[in-house]
Amino acid sequence: MLAGSRSPRKLKFMRLFFTSFLILFFVSVYSQEKTKIEYRTFKDTRVISTQSSETLPAGKMDFRISHRFGDLAGSNGGWQNFYGLEDAADVLIGIDYGATDRLTFGLNRTKGAGPLTRLVNGIVKYKFIGQGKEAGSPITITLLGGASLSTARRIDDPELLTNFPKTAHRLIYNFQAIFARSFSERLALQISPGYVYRNYVTQEDENGLFNLGFAARFQLTKVFGLIVDTTIPFSDLRTSDNGYYLPLGFGLEIDTGGHVFQINLTNTTGLAPTDYIPNTRSNWADGEFRLGFTISRLFNL
Amino acid sequence: MKKFIPFLLLLGTIWCCLAMTDSRVAVVSGETPVWEVLRSLGEPSPNHLITILPEKASVAVGRNIVHFGSNKTKAMKQQSAHFVCTSCHNTEKEFADLRETDPQKRLDYAAENELPFLPGSPLYGVVNRSSFYNGDYEKKYGKLVLPARNNLREAIQLCAVECSQGRVLKNWELESVLGYLWTLELKMEDLAILAADYNKYTLKSEDAADLIAEIKSYYHTDSPAHFVATPEDGKAGYGRQGDASNGEHIYKLSCLHCHEDQRYSFFDLNDGKLSRKLLAKHFPTLSYYSSYQVIRHGAPSHPGKRAYMPQFTSEKMSNQQVEDLRAYVTKK
Repeated sequence: MLAGSRSPRKLKFMRLFFTSFLILFFVSVYSQEKTKIEYRTFKDTRVISTQSSETLPAGKMDFRISHRFGDLAGSNGGWQNFYGLEDAADVLIGIDYGATDRLTFGLNRTKGAGPLTRLVNGIVKYKFIGQGKEAGSPITITLLGGASLSTARRIDDPELLTNFPKTAHRLIYNFQAIFARSFSERLALQISPGYVYRNYVTQEDENGLFNLGFAARFQLTKVFGLIVDTTIPFSDLRTSDNGYYLPLGFGLEIDTGGHVFQINLTNTTGLAPTDYIPNTRSNWADGEFRLGFTISRLFNL
Repeated sequence: MKKFIPFLLLLGTIWCCLAMTDSRVAVVSGETPVWEVLRSLGEPSPNHLITILPEKASVAVGRNIVHFGSNKTKAMKQQSAHFVCTSCHNTEKEFADLRETDPQKRLDYAAENELPFLPGSPLYGVVNRSSFYNGDYEKKYGKLVLPARNNLREAIQLCAVECSQGRVLKNWELESVLGYLWTLELKMEDLAILAADYNKYTLKSEDAADLIAEIKSYYHTDSPAHFVATPEDGKAGYGRQGDASNGEHIYKLSCLHCHEDQRYSFFDLNDGKLSRKLLAKHFPTLSYYSSYQVIRHGAPSHPGKRAYMPQFTSEKMSNQQVEDLRAYVTKK
C-alpha cells in the first residue's frame, strides 16, 4: 500500500496535530526564553527506546552507541547463544548536535531489526516550552521529527518490502510531541503521542500508525537512576494474536558527568522508533527480552 | 606703557605654554581613572596601554569576546569551546577595599553584591596591574608564565590557550579585549581614599614618586597566588569547624556558577539533596571525586573537554571556607 491512501479520520487527526504544533509554536515564542527552565528532566536525550524531552545544550555533540543483544531466554535464548550476548538484534552508532539549547539535530545508523534494515536515521528535535524552575510552564514540551532511510540492498521479489519499486519506499517517518514533567529531583514522567508513517507496507498493514509513549525516571542517587518506557501502537493489526507485543523496557542509568551509561532489559529489537514501534514481535512472557546498553559521551565543539 | 605690551604678551604666551605642557589633571574626582592621575604624576605608560585600536577592533567586540567568547558573527570563530573569560573572572571589583586579600571578605562582598565567587582574579582593574600569573602559577605553567608575568597581552593569550584550551586570539581580537579591559580600569572612587584628599594628587610638588606609591598602596598591582595542599586526613579535613551558612554561599556562588545545568562543566550539580549528598560522600575520600582534591588541585581534562577546572589558591578560598562548604553539603 503506497502513500496517499489516508482515511478522512486520519487526515482530521493530522490536521489537528499540525494545528496543535502551530499553537505550541506561537505560545512558546511568547512564554519562553526569559523563564528559567528545568534542565535535565531526563538525564539523556533518550529514555530506553523512546526519545526523551531533553535537547542538547548549544554547541555540544553527543556521540552515542547503543546495542541490543539477542533473546536472553526463550527458545532463541539461554545457554546456546550465551543468554543473547552472542547475538546482536540491533546496533546504533551516531551523533546528535545541539544547534541551540532548544534545537537538536541527529544522524545515526542502525542495523535495523524489522523488515527494513540498514537504516540511516535523521532527527530534528525542538524544545518549545521548558518547565519553569520557579514559575512558568508546569511541563516541558518538545517536538520531534525523524526519518529513516533503508539502505538495504534491493531484492527483486515483489512479495518483499525490500523490493523497493521506488526510492521513496525506503523511507519511514516519525513524529512525536513529548510532554514531560519533573515532579521532584527524583521523579520525572513523560507522555508522547506520536505518528509513524511508512511509505511502503504489506497489503494487510496500514501506512500510518498512531502511538502513545510513556516513560518515567526515578533517580536513586545523583549517579544512578531507574528508567522505564513503553509505546502503545494503535493498530488493529498489532495484537498479540497477530504476533505483535507492547514494546516495554526497564533500565538503570548511570550518569558519571559527561558520560551517560545505560543498561536495560527490553523486548524491543529495533533501536529506531521507526523500527521498534511498528515491528515489536518479542514477548516478555516468552523470555524474548534482551540486554541492551547505551553509551553517550558529550563533546564540546 | 605701550613698550611693555609685547613683553607682557610674551610672558602670557610662555605662561600658557607652560600651563599646556603641565600634564597634571586639573581636577581629580571619583570618576577620574587612577591611571590618568598616575600618568599626570609621571608614571611611565604600561606596555598594555592602547592609544589607537587597529582596524576591525572595538571595545564592543572585546566585550563580546570576554563575556561570550566571540563577536557572535560568522567572521569570528568562537575562541574556546569550553570557557569564556567570565567563567573564571568577574568583571566587577571583588572587595569594598581593594587593599584586601582576605577570601572571607571577598565572599561577603560577592554575596552582598550577588557576584560569582570565582578562582580567577577579577578583570576589573586588571589594566592597573603590572604583574600577572603571580606566585605559584609558575609551578603549574612553568616557563609559560615568564613572558606573561609582566605583559598583559601575553597573559591574555596564555589564558586563552592554556586555561580555556582555545585558540590564540588574533591581533585585532586581542586589542579589542584590551580595549574593553581599559573600560574596566580603576577609578579614584574605587580606592579607599577620601574625596577630600583627591586634590593633593593635582598639586605640583617634588614628591610625585611618593604620591604614585601612595596611590598604588590602595590596590594590588599583582595578584598573590599560593597553592594549598589537600588535608592529610580526609575525615579530619583541615581540622576546623565548618559554618554551613557560609558554605551555602560558596556552593551557590562558586560551585553552581560552573556546574549548574552543565554550564561550563559536564559534571552537573544543582542545589538539590542528591547533588550535595554525592559531594558529601566523596569529600573525605581524598580521591579524584573529593572536593578537597578538586578545589586544591583542580580537575583534569577529559576526552571531549580539554579544558580543566582551575584550582582555588589560598587567596581565593581559605581552608576554613573549604570546611564551610563541606559543612553545607553534609548538612541534613
